[in-house]
Amino acid sequence: MVRYNLELALRGLRRFPRSTLLAVLTVALGLASSMTTLALLHMLTADPLPGRSQHLYLAWVDTVQAKLADYPSLNGVKVSNYRRIKMADAQALLQAHRAVQQAALAGLDADVSTADGDHVQQGQSLLGTTSGFVPMFGVALRYGRSWSAAEDVARAPVAVIDVDLAQKLFGTANVVGRSIRLDQTAFRVIGVSAPFAPQPHFYGLDRWAFSGSDLENVFVPYTAALDAGLMPGDSDGCDASDKKRGLFDADPARCAWLAYWVQLDTPQQVADYRGYLDHYAEQQPALEGRTRQKAQLHGVSEWLTQQNVIPDNARMNVWLAGSFLLLCMVNVAGLLTAKFLRRSAEIGIRRALGAPRRAIFAQHVLEATVVSALGGVLALPLTLLGLWILRMQDQGFTDLARLDPVMFGGLFALALAVGVLVGVLPAWRASTVEPGLQVKSA
Amino acid sequence: MSLRMLLSILRRHSLMPTLVLLQVALACAILCNVLFLVQQQLAPMLAPSGIAGNELILIDQLASRQKPWSAAEVRRGEQVLRQVPGVRDASAAFGLPMVAGLVDMSLQGGNGVKLGVNGYLGAGLVKTLGLDLVAGRDFLPDEYRDFGMGGDGNSKWDPGAQQPIIITQALADQLFDGGQALGKVMSDPGDADGHGYRVVGIVRHLLRNQLRLASDGRADNTVLLARRIGSTSMLSFAVRVDPAMKDSVREGVAAAIQREFGDTIKAGLVARVSFYNERRAQAFKSERAALWLFAGVTLAVVIVTVVGIMGLTGFWVQKRTRQIGIRRALGARRADILRYFLVENALIVMAGVIVGMLFALLGNGLLMRHYELPQLPWIYLPFGAALMLVLGQFAVLGPALRAARVPPVVATRSV
Repeated sequence: MVRYNLELALRGLRRFPRSTLLAVLTVALGLASSMTTLALLHMLTADPLPGRSQHLYLAWVDTVQAKLADYPSLNGVKVSNYRRIKMADAQALLQAHRAVQQAALAGLDADVSTADGDHVQQGQSLLGTTSGFVPMFGVALRYGRSWSAAEDVARAPVAVIDVDLAQKLFGTANVVGRSIRLDQTAFRVIGVSAPFAPQPHFYGLDRWAFSGSDLENVFVPYTAALDAGLMPGDSDGCDASDKKRGLFDADPARCAWLAYWVQLDTPQQVADYRGYLDHYAEQQPALEGRTRQKAQLHGVSEWLTQQNVIPDNARMNVWLAGSFLLLCMVNVAGLLTAKFLRRSAEIGIRRALGAPRRAIFAQHVLEATVVSALGGVLALPLTLLGLWILRMQDQGFTDLARLDPVMFGGLFALALAVGVLVGVLPAWRASTVEPGLQVKSA
Repeated sequence: MSLRMLLSILRRHSLMPTLVLLQVALACAILCNVLFLVQQQLAPMLAPSGIAGNELILIDQLASRQKPWSAAEVRRGEQVLRQVPGVRDASAAFGLPMVAGLVDMSLQGGNGVKLGVNGYLGAGLVKTLGLDLVAGRDFLPDEYRDFGMGGDGNSKWDPGAQQPIIITQALADQLFDGGQALGKVMSDPGDADGHGYRVVGIVRHLLRNQLRLASDGRADNTVLLARRIGSTSMLSFAVRVDPAMKDSVREGVAAAIQREFGDTIKAGLVARVSFYNERRAQAFKSERAALWLFAGVTLAVVIVTVVGIMGLTGFWVQKRTRQIGIRRALGARRADILRYFLVENALIVMAGVIVGMLFALLGNGLLMRHYELPQLPWIYLPFGAALMLVLGQFAVLGPALRAARVPPVVATRSV
């Protein structure tokens, strides 16, 4: 029966090839626009570190003593607070060692060169951090090792660099034991890692959120980086009001410039750590009598939501494309209704010869589904074209626009669902054709 | 044929008209919102800058290597630039449009309104930028105070006294009743113990630095402050040049900057020397991309709608061929038939537009809730409605003409 219906459906499609083509094209356009925007959104909302991110938390204690400035909000400038903490607090929290793993970190910039200065990579992004970062964030080491807590304390000038930078500087991957210079200061390479670029860049949103090109390719103890004269670029506030001073010197001792990430595996650990942070904040004599919130703990996905990391455009385009798909569906439903009712006479004869309504309905839903499936197939190249156009747009996040196999499966399922949805109304209308009337007038 | 008959036919065969109506409603909703988004993107691109764009070279990305530059070094930089052939004027400045870095501040005017504005700092900017002073005067040479970013600490932001300020006409209108701003005092609501600003001059236009905020009448929320760039570790320059010597003067300016600051600039940095107009084109690149996207969406919506209405109406006309024949046989003229289908389409489209306006407002409400988007202005609704009506009439014209050509004799045949 299905085969007979399919045969009839295909025959029907060939009958008025122009209207069939129009319907297929319309479906393809609607699907392609939806898929393009969904593929981008899917990339942007992906888990940055699968398997790890649900155990990572950003810990924050607000011990900055300057008053909060509210005037920038007047200017439409969102006061971005990346919940960074002061160095003294970071050291105290590290010392207490209450989480499974922990690390303080901050993005820095430097020119990286070989010890002899022959090969230079200018303006590289560095991560000044502590020994916990590499194991906690799962940075894959190709050669050598990461540094230890003791080396943090000793302010040892050691570095882990990524394999691409090693290739660029030394022409070889295994450069453990060699020496590099960050700006002017020599650091010893003790490990070589795989490139580490989770998307979004959740642990350093102050630097960038999404990027196909930026990544930190040097990891160093932040203590040693400070000794080397690498200064944090900005901060979430400083103790002394910075209004009367220069605008660009984030004083590492008095400004909140380190993000503090911890790993907590169980809900109990999370609750305990929250309690510990609150207790820590309560104990700060400088904070007595202050009413604003003093300590917070954010999970990765909550943090990304709170910081509004997904670009508004990406979501808005999904809405736009979705409503366009809806328009296309209504359009195709209309085209198909017209197409089906043109053969009222034929349907009437089939009904008169004993075909039940169900059969007529099934035949036409099938026909609509075939139209949509064809549209879905055609939508694939159109989606690839759309993604290519998006990548051309150069808005920072758009160069991540790719279609993965799962998305392609989704595309096809969506096409079939659209087919059934679109087909129901015209097919129902066709199945209500009265046999007698049509036979008479034909 | 009376309207009542027309409506009763529509009521009896409601599937096709409903489908057309739904299409029109959806298309209308999408188009209204897309056109609104287009306008939001376009506003900053259309805002007048007040600046002589092809006579202005901007220089930025200058940061000092070790210690900040002294005020004297900055002065000498300006002097060297002025001596380049083809240069008419040069000012070290902060916060200029299309330049990296901004100075933002807030002001409270005589009528109590508080606004966020962008401040431009630098000596002689009125002349260097080529601004059109419509009232008052430029700053006097002895009114300037030194200010730098990350400098030696000698130049403070707060000079400890009331400061002269030059504002734009748009700001004068927003902050003072009747736009009477000259000589009046403004305060900084974020700085209770500040000394305030006295308006000494008003310029016609001056585009703000934050381009994303340059819509909804905020493009000119810009002020000039009486600051001379003093000791600083960040620098940018505005250079007014003779447009006839465009290419040679750019090279001359770049060479002068290299000579003067090449040895003290931070390693890895290269000063960016380019015309205002070039930067403007670059800055609006993503807006232009978005505009193309929206244009594509609009075109696709229009095509899909027209094709849909054509297909449906064509079928519906064909189905009624016999009735048309009967009406023709009973004496209806071709023009009557044509008018009938046009009016019918107009009725359906209007109903669709009414539903579509509701959809449009709903969609806009949704966008407003989730994204920073202002309310859809009412003006877009009649505009969208008119557009849909024209599209509908255009789409129905073909089928309606075909209907008008149906000969009366068809009435006597069975279809």
